Amino acid sequence: MGDELSHILPGLRDTAIITCGAYLIGAVLGAFVAAARRVRRRPVRLLAWSLVELVRAVPVLVWLFLVFYGLPQYGISFSPVVAATLTLGVIASSYLSEIYRGGLAAIGRGQWDASAALGLSRRDTALRVIVPQTLRVSGPAMAGYGIWLLKDSALASTIGVVELTYRASAEAQSTGKGMTVFAIVGVIYLLLGLPLALASRSVDRRMRSRWSMS
Amino acid sequence: MNSSSPADADGTSAPPLVAPASVGVSATGICKEFGDHAALTDVTLDVDVGEVVSVIGPSGAGKTTLLRCINMLEIPTSGRVTVGDVVLEAVDGQLQQPRSVLAALRRSAGMVFQSFNLFPHLTVLRNVAMPQERVLGRSREEAEASSLALLERVGLREKAHAYPERCSGGQQQRVAIARALALKPAVMLFDEPTSALDPEVGAEILAIMRELAADGMTMIVATHEMSFAKEASDRIVVMVDGRIIEAGAPAEVIHNPSHERTRRFLRAVLNR
Repeated sequence: MGDELSHILPGLRDTAIITCGAYLIGAVLGAFVAAARRVRRRPVRLLAWSLVELVRAVPVLVWLFLVFYGLPQYGISFSPVVAATLTLGVIASSYLSEIYRGGLAAIGRGQWDASAALGLSRRDTALRVIVPQTLRVSGPAMAGYGIWLLKDSALASTIGVVELTYRASAEAQSTGKGMTVFAIVGVIYLLLGLPLALASRSVDRRMRSRWSMS
Repeated sequence: MNSSSPADADGTSAPPLVAPASVGVSATGICKEFGDHAALTDVTLDVDVGEVVSVIGPSGAGKTTLLRCINMLEIPTSGRVTVGDVVLEAVDGQLQQPRSVLAALRRSAGMVFQSFNLFPHLTVLRNVAMPQERVLGRSREEAEASSLALLERVGLREKAHAYPERCSGGQQQRVAIARALALKPAVMLFDEPTSALDPEVGAEILAIMRELAADGMTMIVATHEMSFAKEASDRIVVMVDGRIIEAGAPAEVIHNPSHERTRRFLRAVLNR
């Protein structure tokens, strides 16, 4: 079993790159999408909403194929890792924007009023008042989505990214020990996701003991 | 946007760049429409430096909207607001001055809300200190020192490191007052500050407001507290249906109101 493990484990690198990279893209882009859905101009809101719905309506696998096999038709081609990171990043942005939106909706009008009345700039209002409270509400869901994204990164194997799942299936084919190999990779995903889940739970508890949203 | 032809009720043209020194706050020809509902119709209110004005009137009369227009939490449909030497004017619901002027106005006007609106993720101390650091550019040490002094003054020094959730409503409102005062405003706007509190707790808040008034703070107070309006204010303004229908010395307005609507309103609140 040590042999199989040592053949699979190098895939960790690309799994980590894709998961972290996509989450980062999604977290930042998602903030802009969530903001776009609250602006006064209706066309902007409508556009942001359509993009979110479009991204979520099409299977992740189809998006991956569109980007990796489709875009080269127009002369745009990425390496498998980049294609997977960008695609999953954009998909993450639409899910995370929805999570942020829920957090934003939980913040009462009084918080915006107080910030404005005190003369806080837009930037300070966002960074010092709104974002911390949004994270308070959205944090658990954001951690949960991180675990989803980690698992979705396995789809990158279909476009030739040599990550954990790719290595596992190669190993299964060459050794014939499918059960052993895929059980190992399953446990690896579990072990990667578990700390995230536990950390999110303890942070949530600690904050809850100090303050909650009224 | 053509800013040279504001359709002011009194026909004045461009606002003066510097207001007379004696003017604390002046709201001129304020109109505010929400859809086709007129919340304020041509409201004009001048408040001298150090003057305390109580705004009374039935719910929905526009008291809150007037206060929110004075610090531009609501941009008026039209009208002009002057606080100290800051002048802001709205035409067709659009501010005519840049955001920097709006920021200056908000800095000069402190506001206390009916629902306190403390920041729940910050301790009492940070609630009072953070705005000083961000708005006045004070250092953390300086801001926290002045915050502790203010908390002392409102009797909450020992709550400095508690989160608002651990404070009673009355304590939260006292923190909110300290937070607003910390920015050294030229005027304090109180939007029914005791309406969400039990009467005896409200009395603590009113006592602090009386002290502030005695210290010479310029104040505009939307309130249902007739005893405060009568004893602590220099002038009472009566609003009904988005208009000021009567204004004058407290004793005069309360004991000898000239308007039938004022009489009806006073009967209702005084017999409560």
